[in-house]
Amino acid sequence: MTIEKFSFKYSELNIGRNALILAMGYSQESLPPMINEEIDEVLESGNELCNIEGGYRITDSVNWDKSIFSILLDNVAFDIHKVIFQQIKKSNSVAIFACTAGKKITDISKEIMKDGDLLKGYVYDLFGSIVVESAMDLIQDSLQKEMVALGLKITNRFSPGYCGWEVAEQKKLFSLLPEHFCGIELTDSCLMQPTKSVSGIIGIGESVKYNRYTCNICDAPNCLYRNLKYQ
Amino acid sequence: MSDTLERLMNCVELGKINKLSAFPPSLKGQDGADELSKLALDEGINPQVILNQALIPGMSKIGEKFSQGKAFVPEMLISAKAMTAAMKHLKPFFATGEIKRNGVFVIGTVFGDLHDIGKNIVAMTIEGAGWEVIDLGVDVKPEKFIETIEKYPNCVVGLSALLTTTMANMEVIVKEIKNKYPDKVILVGGAPLSQDYCNKIGASFYSRDPQGAVEYLKKVAA
Ligand code: B12
Repeated sequence: MTIEKFSFKYSELNIGRNALILAMGYSQESLPPMINEEIDEVLESGNELCNIEGGYRITDSVNWDKSIFSILLDNVAFDIHKVIFQQIKKSNSVAIFACTAGKKITDISKEIMKDGDLLKGYVYDLFGSIVVESAMDLIQDSLQKEMVALGLKITNRFSPGYCGWEVAEQKKLFSLLPEHFCGIELTDSCLMQPTKSVSGIIGIGESVKYNRYTCNICDAPNCLYRNLKYQ
Repeated sequence: MSDTLERLMNCVELGKINKLSAFPPSLKGQDGADELSKLALDEGINPQVILNQALIPGMSKIGEKFSQGKAFVPEMLISAKAMTAAMKHLKPFFATGEIKRNGVFVIGTVFGDLHDIGKNIVAMTIEGAGWEVIDLGVDVKPEKFIETIEKYPNCVVGLSALLTTTMANMEVIVKEIKNKYPDKVILVGGAPLSQDYCNKIGASFYSRDPQGAVEYLKKVAA
């Protein structure tokens, strides 16, 4: 059983203006110029706004119940449904991950909105989402490098709340991580706190595959990130 | 329509706040929503007419573009800023009753859920459509909604949620409200919602975007 923890400075994430612009729905050309100020401001203050922590725990106790598309990690059954099951079924071990951008970014965004500036509050909020996803990209890269050194490959990451896997199963997922892992808590209604947090699993094995284009296997038609990352 | 009202409507749609704002470039150096609403009042235009014929249609235009995918959240929020600048001049007329709102809209993110961006955008859009909005915030329990309905018996209620786990709490709230107020109009929205779910829990209306709610509210107010 391995536990790896990471903490990043925002500047290590290399988040550019483009990430924010795309996530808002624009291209460089179509961005209304009045948003530039907000974007510049949030990018400049990124280091003070974030408290990025994340990590994973790898378990080798992996079993399957193919008839119901279920995976058992440390004998805890997860109803991951067909789409994710197909992607991960060849794994020999699984990394259970969680990552957060910290509480501050959401607190500040909410404060700004309360003071009446919805636009700036929105840009800050979006920034927090991009930070946590980018940090998780780095963690995933690091896991991949480690596994490649051992002659192994990894899958994409999969989260409860996507492709039929219920958000409520986060309860079981967090039961397999140390308490207060990276400062993340799960509420009774399965909300992670801080808000800008993600959780999920990554498969590891000799014959698993990383799929660059996951949008075509996912069933979230209105996802903000749909087809964006790989454009 | 008077030239001033037309220009004011344009400013709201394009998010031209005041003369100093550099955006949009096509209106650089020209009066914005701030100056034009004052000018309209000075020209003797009735404040209710300014609201109904310039400000609300301006917001509505950007809302429509948003629901067609031709504009995105930031543009809605910039228009809202321009609208706020204009409303500053109209405020006194609400107090004296010279301007009447379309009704009261009570909105909150359901208990168990702390997300407020989506809810805030809906609140802002509905306010921009001429409604008085009472924003109960996040993590709102059924009792709080009931209490507020008692204060504003003719209000319309809006519920927001971001995850399927918290969406389930909408059902509880709808049930408790409908128990006491069977005819209460309740709108639901948020990323995990669907028309099916709205029907299942007995809510009145589901919209995936704020403008859909505005159109529905027009019918409610009529
Ligand atoms: C950005 C994002 C994130 C970010 C930030 C989330 C946050 N809370 O701030 C990050 C990356 C951290 C994240 C994490 C997670 N996310 Co997420 N996320 C999104 C995404 C892409 C956009 C959400 C957003 O901010 N939208 C912008 C706002 C303005 O939109 P909105 O809130 O939906 O509101 C609009 C409408 O819904 C409507 N509306 C809202 N309320 C109301 C009310 C009324 C009355 C009306 C009429 C209309 C209305 O009008 C608003 C304006 O247009 C959505 C997918 C999507 N496209 O919606 C998934 C989504 C919300 N996430 C989802 C999930 C599952 C998660 C995680 C549980 C995944 C995980 N296990 O890690 C976590 C949970 C985080 C937590 N704290 O618990 C699911 C939720 C559905 C479900 N299965 O429950 C979604 C829908 C993706 C999907 N699977 O389709 N997420």
